[in-house]
Amino acid sequence: MADTVHNTLDPQLNRRGFLKGCTMAAAALGLSETMIPKLVEAAAAAERPRVVWLHFQECTGCTESLLRASHPDLAHLILDVISLDYHETVMAAAGHQAEEILQKTVTEHAGKFILVIEGAIPTKDGGIYCKVGGKTAMDTLAEIGPKAAAIIAIGTCATFGGVQAASPNPTGAVGVMDLISGVPVVNIPGCPPNPMSFLGTVLHYLTFKRLPAMDSLNRPLFAYGRRIHDHCERRPHFDEGRFVEQFGDEFHKAGYCLYKVGCKGPETFSNCPAVRFNDVDVWPVSVGHGCVGCTEPNFWDTMTPFYDRLPMVKIPGTGIIADADSVGTKVLGVTAAAIGIHAAVGIGKRLIKGKGNE
Amino acid sequence: MYEKHPCWSILLRLFHWMFALSIVVLVVTGFYVNSPWTNTMLESSQSWPMAWMRYLHFVAGYVFSAAIIIRLFLYIFGNQQERIWDILPVTRRNLRNLWKTLLHYSYIKEAGQHDRLGHNVLAGLTYIVTVFAAIVQICSGFYMLYPEAAFWEGWGVAIFGNQQSSRYIHHLLMWWFIIFAMIHVYMCIWNDVKRPEGVISSIFTGDKFTHTKA
Repeated sequence: MADTVHNTLDPQLNRRGFLKGCTMAAAALGLSETMIPKLVEAAAAAERPRVVWLHFQECTGCTESLLRASHPDLAHLILDVISLDYHETVMAAAGHQAEEILQKTVTEHAGKFILVIEGAIPTKDGGIYCKVGGKTAMDTLAEIGPKAAAIIAIGTCATFGGVQAASPNPTGAVGVMDLISGVPVVNIPGCPPNPMSFLGTVLHYLTFKRLPAMDSLNRPLFAYGRRIHDHCERRPHFDEGRFVEQFGDEFHKAGYCLYKVGCKGPETFSNCPAVRFNDVDVWPVSVGHGCVGCTEPNFWDTMTPFYDRLPMVKIPGTGIIADADSVGTKVLGVTAAAIGIHAAVGIGKRLIKGKGNE
Repeated sequence: MYEKHPCWSILLRLFHWMFALSIVVLVVTGFYVNSPWTNTMLESSQSWPMAWMRYLHFVAGYVFSAAIIIRLFLYIFGNQQERIWDILPVTRRNLRNLWKTLLHYSYIKEAGQHDRLGHNVLAGLTYIVTVFAAIVQICSGFYMLYPEAAFWEGWGVAIFGNQQSSRYIHHLLMWWFIIFAMIHVYMCIWNDVKRPEGVISSIFTGDKFTHTKA
């Protein structure tokens, strides 16, 4: 039953495509080419890891980007490498049949299957804001999560809560990391993340039987170890002080740095400038739009406004929202006025009372 | 008659000027780095304004950090005026001084002879807050400078969450230093006018003067 997608939708992954995909993943992982045969061997092993893919509070964009990558071999490779037992978007089964497969995989392969989570988990009001098959996302995760060998949280929603967790976070959405302990969690954030980062993580696990090295936010270092800014093709324009002043101006046309129109590359860890997207070697900055920082925690709250450098200052209780420098200038002005008054009072007092007896 | 007393050690004066000058450089270059006001329209001019500004910012940042290390050392091992117990409003003597200073600064009651040679407690407290703010600046600054170093990455994520939040706090706290510097300079001039202890020259010479009844 397990291999529905592979058998019915894609019988045609040729060897050339297979090797190409493995090579791309090895490059993304930073492995030497001598490791490629091992990767291929692991990927071609008869016993493929069972994968259960659960959708919670999300838009399915991560799945879409994975399956509809312009390089079809990539999606095929992923589906060839793993045995995708349960995936609500692509599986043929529905209803009780689907639930049965899920239960079967989880019980028969307990402690061995990989659980992929796409989407945030709402926790407010008992988690009622996301239900699949009559069960809340919270309950499903609590039931299936501890039985997995490892959990891959794909996309910013599953890792850090994403847009659902943006202030005021009405449904109390959180990422997998906040609810699961005891099972290793790999975070592949991004909106959507690069399919290569997901494939690289899976192949690393298959080849080396362990998870890749990760940063303190559980992001694999091979994909999230460097800042976008430090690998950006527009970086020389930054150092040389050549900036786009506004979208569409002559500097924009000349391909200058997008720093002044709010690019969050300096604050964002991802392999976008190196691995790029869609097999046509593009990524947001290469086509003239700044990075919005989608791989970072709380990016909807901290990276907005997307076209300014810094978040706005919100003064609680007043409804005042202003940029940091205008608030700073005003406070400085008030301080200067206070100093002026203080000095004037001192001088006035002296004029009236005389110098005193110091 | 005035009597001259050594008050500030060479190390404290060194701290003060390292701190003051680095803050000036950090604020100017920091404004540039946040919002570069020039645009090098000439290709291949090789003037690298942003690279230079960042370089100066980092050098000044190291001077700033070294200054803070000196001040923290002096809080514990400095002379009587420099130690933290001379400032913290936890003893009766310090609380009294804080109250008298507040009355004095608001022109309500003239303070008589100082009960101490060093900082009054209000000034000392402000400096402690500034040192604390400086430590936050150092943490956020090094987190942004060395984003891939495990030490700074771990601390940075724990304290600030992400790079952007640390940039935001780094920028907001800069305004504290600007406002602090303005008030600090004003209060020093004010004290120099009100009291004949020579507070301004003391940061150059290290000596203060007290009135003696002779």
